[in-house]
Amino acid sequence: MFKKSIYTSFIVLMTIFVLVVAVQSCKKKSLEGMIVMSQCKGDIENPDYLSGSRWRNIPESRIVALHTDAPDQPLYKLTEGFYSACAPKISYDGNSMLFVAQQSENDIWQIWEMDLTNRKTRQITSSEGNCIDPDYLPGDRMVFSKQEIINVATKEKGYTLYTCNLDGSNLARITYDPSTYFASTVLNDGRVVAIGRTLIPEVKDAMLMIMRPDGTKQQLFYQSEANHHLQGRVWEMDESSIVFVEGDADNEKDITSISYNRPLHSKVNLTSQIKGDFYAISPYQENMVLASYRSDKEGHFALYGFNTQSHELGTPIYKDGEYHVLEAVPVVKRDRPKKLPSEVDLNVKTALLVCQDINYSYMQTNDSTTAVNKASRLEILGMDETMATFKTEEDGSFYIKVQADTPFRMQTLDGNDNVVKGPSSWLYLRPNERRGCIGCHENRELVPQNAQPLAVRKDPIPVPSPKEIDSLKRDLKM
Amino acid sequence: MKIHLKYPTLLVLFVMLVISSWGFVQPKERTESIKDTSKTYGDKNRTASEKPMPIYGNWISYDSKNGLPGDKAYCVKIDGDRVLVGTHEGLAVLENGNWKTYTTEDGLAHNGILAIDVDPLTGDVWLGTMGGLSRWSTGKFENYTQMNSGMPNDLIYAVTCDGKDVWVATGGGAGCYNTYTRKWEIFTEENAPMHEPWTYGVCASNDKIYIAAWGGGIIEYTKKTKKFRDYVDPDGNMEIDLFPDDGVVHDITTGASWSNGILWVATYFGLSRYDGVHWKGYFDHDSGLASNFINYIKAKDDIAFICTDQGLSTTDGENWITYTTNENSKNGKTILLNGADKKELATSPSLAHNFTIGVDVEGDRIWVATSKGVSRGQLMK
Amino acid sequence: MKNAKRKTLLWMLILFGFIIYFPGRMLARHHVNYKTAVTDHPLKCTSCHVYTSKNKFVTSLINEDYYSPFNIAVSHDGSRLYVVAQDTDELLIVDTESNSVLHQIKVGVHPHSVILNKANTLAYVSNQWSDNISVIDLAVSKVTDTIKTGNGPSGLTISADGSYLQVVNTYGSDLSVIDLSTKEELKRLRTGSDPTGTALSPDGERLYVTSRRSKIVPYGEPLVSDLTEINGTTLRVSEHHNIEEAYMMENIAFTPSGDLAMMTLIRPKNLIPSVQVEGGWMMTHGIGVIEQGANGRIIQLLTDEPNSYYSDPFDIVVSPDGKRAYVSNSGADRVTVISVDSIRAILKETPKEKLKNIANNLGVSSRFVIKRVPTGANPKGLALSEDGKKLYIAEQLEDKIGVLDTESLQMEAPIDLGGPSRITVARQGRRLFNNAGHTFQKQYACYTCHPDHHEDGLVYNMAGKDMGRNVTNTQSLREIGDTPPFKWNGKNQTIYKQDGMRFSTVLTRTEQFSYDDLDAITAYIKRGIKYPPNLMYNPHGKLTESQLRGKEIYNRTKDNFGNVIPENNRCYTCHPAPLYSNLKAADVSTLAVTDDSILFDTPHLGNIYASPPYLHDGRAATLEEIWTVYGEDNKHGFVNDLTKMQLNDLIDYLKSLGGPEQEENSTQIQETASF
Repeated sequence: MFKKSIYTSFIVLMTIFVLVVAVQSCKKKSLEGMIVMSQCKGDIENPDYLSGSRWRNIPESRIVALHTDAPDQPLYKLTEGFYSACAPKISYDGNSMLFVAQQSENDIWQIWEMDLTNRKTRQITSSEGNCIDPDYLPGDRMVFSKQEIINVATKEKGYTLYTCNLDGSNLARITYDPSTYFASTVLNDGRVVAIGRTLIPEVKDAMLMIMRPDGTKQQLFYQSEANHHLQGRVWEMDESSIVFVEGDADNEKDITSISYNRPLHSKVNLTSQIKGDFYAISPYQENMVLASYRSDKEGHFALYGFNTQSHELGTPIYKDGEYHVLEAVPVVKRDRPKKLPSEVDLNVKTALLVCQDINYSYMQTNDSTTAVNKASRLEILGMDETMATFKTEEDGSFYIKVQADTPFRMQTLDGNDNVVKGPSSWLYLRPNERRGCIGCHENRELVPQNAQPLAVRKDPIPVPSPKEIDSLKRDLKM
Repeated sequence: MKIHLKYPTLLVLFVMLVISSWGFVQPKERTESIKDTSKTYGDKNRTASEKPMPIYGNWISYDSKNGLPGDKAYCVKIDGDRVLVGTHEGLAVLENGNWKTYTTEDGLAHNGILAIDVDPLTGDVWLGTMGGLSRWSTGKFENYTQMNSGMPNDLIYAVTCDGKDVWVATGGGAGCYNTYTRKWEIFTEENAPMHEPWTYGVCASNDKIYIAAWGGGIIEYTKKTKKFRDYVDPDGNMEIDLFPDDGVVHDITTGASWSNGILWVATYFGLSRYDGVHWKGYFDHDSGLASNFINYIKAKDDIAFICTDQGLSTTDGENWITYTTNENSKNGKTILLNGADKKELATSPSLAHNFTIGVDVEGDRIWVATSKGVSRGQLMK
Repeated sequence: MKNAKRKTLLWMLILFGFIIYFPGRMLARHHVNYKTAVTDHPLKCTSCHVYTSKNKFVTSLINEDYYSPFNIAVSHDGSRLYVVAQDTDELLIVDTESNSVLHQIKVGVHPHSVILNKANTLAYVSNQWSDNISVIDLAVSKVTDTIKTGNGPSGLTISADGSYLQVVNTYGSDLSVIDLSTKEELKRLRTGSDPTGTALSPDGERLYVTSRRSKIVPYGEPLVSDLTEINGTTLRVSEHHNIEEAYMMENIAFTPSGDLAMMTLIRPKNLIPSVQVEGGWMMTHGIGVIEQGANGRIIQLLTDEPNSYYSDPFDIVVSPDGKRAYVSNSGADRVTVISVDSIRAILKETPKEKLKNIANNLGVSSRFVIKRVPTGANPKGLALSEDGKKLYIAEQLEDKIGVLDTESLQMEAPIDLGGPSRITVARQGRRLFNNAGHTFQKQYACYTCHPDHHEDGLVYNMAGKDMGRNVTNTQSLREIGDTPPFKWNGKNQTIYKQDGMRFSTVLTRTEQFSYDDLDAITAYIKRGIKYPPNLMYNPHGKLTESQLRGKEIYNRTKDNFGNVIPENNRCYTCHPAPLYSNLKAADVSTLAVTDDSILFDTPHLGNIYASPPYLHDGRAATLEEIWTVYGEDNKHGFVNDLTKMQLNDLIDYLKSLGGPEQEENSTQIQETASF
């Protein structure tokens, strides 16, 4: 009996061992080390940068996996059951992939996740509007763009940014201004950077906007030169450089590098010496990006390795006579970005904004000729009408309590209500967000002067207000 | 013999008191006593009478019309090439021929500056004001008040720098600030032999501090032992000095200054000199002292400079020179009293005003603070 | 039968185990949840009961003795390094050929700086916690003399003729001038607050002393720190320069030609509601450049970048050719290499009226920063070899000396001082404390607002809710381990909660500490931060007569008129020894109109002399003002009957207070003291 028991135990142990080995061997079949890329046939010219069509979401695209060790081997088709599939993003542990897909023609684009160890897919979003450009957020969440009506009056549509859990739950909208946002990427600092484009009152150039994953502290990250346009997702390399593809005035699309540390003034065109177009890039190895490139506009985009230090384009890693290579990403583990805490409290309906000095730019120039145009009042403009007008403090500061998730612009006025500066670009604050700005400054690299704004010695001015409120008439708090 | 008069009766006392209060004088006996004691003090090699008394002239005066923020100057201090004048309206500084005024707007504790001393080691200027003590270093003020520090009282009559310590005489006692430890020690009638906490003057010798305490005579503090003793008028609070040279001439002392082993004590009722053994009294009626009402005293080497309500007197203990002015004409007199010889020199212009409140001497310069401005004199060869 | 018994016993044990396990685990969960204020902290008993233990046996097991190199000097020939090992109280003499420690010389307590005489025959080491200088004869590698200084000696210079040693006294906020012929202190010159750095101009005519704390001013008034200029000949203060909006000016250096002096500094934003970190809204770091000669401008330049900050700049040295400056960024584990010529160019083209704006420009650093070189943990003192080819970096929390090849700007193999290779939990906590990696964009470390693990003397508007309200004075972290709760409102029952999730939401604004890191930083804050000895007010552990009188007042139960003072209005009730806090909340009627209605957590009073300004919002510039200005209603202790002398005695006693250890040591002496 005793012996039998040992024998039985041995059998059980062996079974467990075999199962573990089997599971491990299954794991080995994951795509780690391979390159996942989206492809499409035919024409990809004339993308619609406003709707995203044929730019961010490409019909009849597919996602395949490439054996980097044996590029000649047939591609591993990952999205065979889908009519269209593109925009792959690999999870930090390298085991999953987010992508956007249409199951059938004319379907709404939805976001899906694939388990790369078994290629099983599951749908995350079930939206009535197209959902595109997902990226992983720390904490089993993702950020993506969702198509919605931006301008109620004209029914004009655009994309707003959302976050949700990877099971689709806990959906949260994070942008509230009349702009359209694409191609979001989560940076190592935990913030989301996306291509943003203001639509109202007129369509403006796209620029890179950055914000926390809860939508707070949104600000400009990078602005292209005139007539340039941002092509696709940005990627963060080592040594704090950020790379992306940008088209110039001649529609020549090059790889652009900016420094994370100083994005507004560090642009370098890495491929100015290379003729032809780049479609998309992603970090691959040290100082190396995967780049989809074609030397002439007639050809197909193929997959290359591009050295960001030597600025050399190697030989094609993969080339296809039938399909363009669009976005290619290596299936590797990577550092998880910081999981930023959120100050958003949905129980609070308002948010606070303090400005140090509306005349800050005036101070900066030290130009006596501008003194006559010194502003002393501020007008808050809503989508349709003025939300509030009030006198700022002697030091040029103001402190307002705005309705959360409500877009507004500001313009400064002189004593005669003539506009001194503005209107500004759209701003919105999330519920319970507290935010500060220095003033209407041209130089975005300035930090505030260490001085207490006089405005915060009083209660904040409510915006929108039923009538104009003179800040000086409010009761002093102190 | 210290006592030159026979013990009086109560009647005699009363009569003398009345006579004295009328300003009646008995010069003969007092003059003798001066002569007697002149050989017992001063330089060990020669008596003070052998040294010539410095005479100052070529007076130039400054008031609100030509540099000062106000006419009333309380104190003056020569600090190297510059002169610091404490006025009722702030600190006036003469440097490179130009006056500059510092007030509370510049950070001064109070505009009424009653006392100035300069730390010879650090060069820091300490200003005793009517509203606290200001430390003035390289143009910046740091203020000590009874509210923000352990300083006894904001009304400061005298300041003296003594090594790492700064002593102040205030309306609420004397205070000693240790600049190393930043601690204040207060000395009042509670812990020192004072009559009341009101102190008017403070000065330092090598091993002692002397505090002129209102109604308490002179309080001597030995630095090493931290012990006090007092020197009071043996005659009590009488306005006359009944028994000459028996101690400080009066308990209501208004200032003290120590130099070359001699402590000079100012009162509103005459001048005292103490050589560590003997006291000697001087009055307007028995010496060259301009007036018994002494506002301030400053001793430099062997000479005492005495600011009175009737002009400035200087003495080496035997010889006297007094500077007065005619307040209307600004012409004045320099009165020399050498033993029994009295000489008067016309001086034009003279001091700004006879009501002298502060004085400082350095090299061949003398500066006198008066109620109508500040005067500078030069040593006459 | 035996088997049956055994089985029964086994089953009983299992049952007992279940009975214990589930409720026990539930209790443990409840306990840990309370202590950490989260529900998912691992049930690790070690977190609190081992890492923060005071048991000597346990602490000897879990801790190590590290050298913690702090400052360095190099011999003329470059063959020797003289390394101040702050935690072992030693001067280490290192051979740069073999990279080995030749001698370990015991000096005073908590040494700070080292300087060599011109002939390189003597080394002077300032001992910050024993108020003296160790004189070391380098021929025999022994301490041959000890010189008394002021309080908390740190930075050192020797006069041009070698006659005087000038010692910066950090705690005394002054400079001792030591006559080296007599080894006596000649005089003490007043400097700015909490000074450390000093540098003598190449011609010996000008000596600068940098201060770390700003002047104490009412909240809302501009922040100004003092840069003291001393005439090298007269040895008198010739100027107190106002350095606006800056503090923590740790060190200063001249260019060899003497055209510039450069100092490290921090530009804090304490007057601005702390609503965000983005855009340099909390802390910025940089250098101050003092132009010599007629112009004499002082320009401040940020070494930070718009999205990357280099916190806690500590030391600065200039290359022999005057072309480069090197700054150690202690909180960023970097050495910033600066082009001095670029700074000269910026100075040349910047008119005076633009200086204020340029000091707030994060983009300017790209013009003069050549490289950011990664170093070991917590780089502090720097020293260049005389030929300028090697830069030696005291990596305080790496226990190594980093070596930078200044031509290639590549780090060479560091010099291992031979300290423990193991990184203990507390050491990890200290690293975390000193490193800005746990704030958004590395903008500041714990150390930035708590320099020397103490406090920075500033009042901040943390803007927990509305802006402009609830301004609070930074509290010292020294010996706070046994004084829960924390924060002025006492809302945090443990350091775990204090430094937990909400800490990251409102302060660091980036990912919160991992629980392992939280364990580490808690262990360090609770047990690793000691009081410096109170040598200024209680040098011998014996109270002075005045302090003894003050102690009587502190412990009094009746006022001067014989009336009984209500118990809750006696000093000792709320501030009982040995912690000088009853750990309870109280109303002392100092709530401001702009404060939310709260009771104040009773602060401990150890080393209170070193923590001005006072009260929760720093309104009292001195201890005196707590009662002379803000204590009129007798609610913060019954004091209005006290004479000025009695108040002085009471304050003298308060200033004498150190930590609990001091209280224990001095009890016996005090009992026998006579009144």
